[in-house]
Amino acid sequence: MKPDADTTIESAAIGAGHDGAAELVVNLRYPNGTVGPVVLDADIGFALLRTCGADSLNELKGHSWRAILESLHDV
Amino acid sequence: MYDVIITNGTIVDGTGARGFKGDVAIKNGRIAAVGKVDGTAKRTIDAAGRIVAPGFIDPHTHFDVQILWDGAARPALEHGVTTIVPGNCSLSLAPLKASDRKAVVGMFQQIEEMPPEAFTQAFTWTWEDFAGYRKAIEPGLSLNVAPLVGHSLIRLWVMGEASQQRAATPDEIAQMQDLLRESLKAGGVGLSTSYIDVDENGRPVPSRFAQFDELDALCEVLGEFGRILQVVPEFYDADLTIARIDQLAELSLKHNIPTTFSPVFDSPATPKNSPRIVARVEEQFARGARVWPQMQTRPVDISFSFLRPSLYFARLPTWWRTLRQPLEQRNASLRDKEVVAKMLAEADTNMMTQGMGILVIRGGDNAPAGYVGRTLAEVAKERGETNSQALINVSLENDLDVAFLAENVGHADTSRIGPMLAKPSVHIGASDGGAHITSFSTYGDTGFLFSEFVRKSGDLTLEQAVKKITSDTAEIWGLADRGRLAPEMAADVVVFDAATIGRGAERAVFDMPGDGMRYVRSATGIDTVLVNGEVAYAAGDYTAAKAGVVCV
Repeated sequence: MKPDADTTIESAAIGAGHDGAAELVVNLRYPNGTVGPVVLDADIGFALLRTCGADSLNELKGHSWRAILESLHDV
Repeated sequence: MYDVIITNGTIVDGTGARGFKGDVAIKNGRIAAVGKVDGTAKRTIDAAGRIVAPGFIDPHTHFDVQILWDGAARPALEHGVTTIVPGNCSLSLAPLKASDRKAVVGMFQQIEEMPPEAFTQAFTWTWEDFAGYRKAIEPGLSLNVAPLVGHSLIRLWVMGEASQQRAATPDEIAQMQDLLRESLKAGGVGLSTSYIDVDENGRPVPSRFAQFDELDALCEVLGEFGRILQVVPEFYDADLTIARIDQLAELSLKHNIPTTFSPVFDSPATPKNSPRIVARVEEQFARGARVWPQMQTRPVDISFSFLRPSLYFARLPTWWRTLRQPLEQRNASLRDKEVVAKMLAEADTNMMTQGMGILVIRGGDNAPAGYVGRTLAEVAKERGETNSQALINVSLENDLDVAFLAENVGHADTSRIGPMLAKPSVHIGASDGGAHITSFSTYGDTGFLFSEFVRKSGDLTLEQAVKKITSDTAEIWGLADRGRLAPEMAADVVVFDAATIGRGAERAVFDMPGDGMRYVRSATGIDTVLVNGEVAYAAGDYTAAKAGVVCV
């Protein structure tokens, strides 16, 4: 198992960006129990939903953080 | 004889001291006396029942282009703003070689959202160096300008296209130092840089290709002048922002310079971020560093149209999948009864239909005038539709080019923001005046400070609020003779009604070159604004006064 294999998406919410665009705020739970946010723009946010096959933000929970990496290449 | 005496007002002098009844006398553009003033004047302004305060200073604007044809930076001046700082986020309009103008115009259009005509019809390009830009703006100024020198411009001048490709060589860094030195001598208030901005093609702006030794070398020059460094950090990530705070602290200590970063805003999606950032700043202040976080007063809104998919619909999979289709297919789907039925059902199931009612219809290019400024709920009721039906149909009827606004989605919790704004370590700024002009209004943040955080929440006293946006700002930015009502200081004065000062409703106007649209807010409660002793705004009108200067 890779050291970071169990870093997973804890939750996701819509936030308001500085420029008036909606952003996707994804909270990651790290192996040591820490939870921290990653903010994604619309293109990457939608790509993450697609990558995870998620129909809603709740369905992102439990997916590996690597889905975000894949999404970066999917826009 | 004085030039002007402002009589009978309550003087709030910008120091934070309690307001007191008295007069302010002005002569030759300077404050001549404050308190009980004897003598006569060419002009007397009765300020009975009003506050007399130093003019407000807006430290984060992008008025670089607008002040070439509008020296009042409308509507900034009518909000009591007498000094603006343009050139933020690594982008200024000088130094700029003629051959590089097109590239920089693209960067400005990305940030400011100004129409192309603003750069081709509204003024004549007469300059390349910073002194030339100063000469171009200064004759027309109704307010004061303390312009930053953009790091991206410095880099572009020295490195050309390579400025967006690679790190600089030692020789190039030395050339940048010389150019910055020359620009500061010509009136630059400091240097701005950015770690997040992109050009019109989505490429990082030149400053983002700089390595630390380059920034360090430029800060060495700032140290020679005691000038400020403004930075846009990776504000979407608190950890990266904190790393930048630490970096700025080292630069501040090493070169004995003030630094500031923006924006800092409070989001319910990341509630720990802003308190962490402020706490880190305070740790660095305790070490002797000067790292000022700029926090805006106004809430953050979300705006969108069906022309560009928004994460606003992320909870509604049929909606976002439909709206992410190519335009032709998107239009077809939105006219497909089955698809629309599914969308409407999904919105109902997710409790979104009712929530959509608070959306405000805005002035997209095709927005019907009768709808602009009204809530979707009002329009839906008038049309006999549900909110979600109206959202789809109003968009379809107008080629999808109707904008909608979800107000106060972020940075809107006064109980959290008020105490942070009141902290001595927090610099009120980040208005972005003159930027994002077709997305939302960046004017009136000073009025909102008084209406929301003085009158409504009481987090700041009137005197504290005035101090925050006058003498505190002047001190941070090294504007030695501004920000206080005291003898010998520049006579930048605003007379306002403490009970009504605020910002009006956001509205679309078409006053940009080429009839370009932007959102603005008018001021409320501002009676009179004087810049360097001359009345620049009074009784709801701008005067012909052009007393503004480049002030450093």
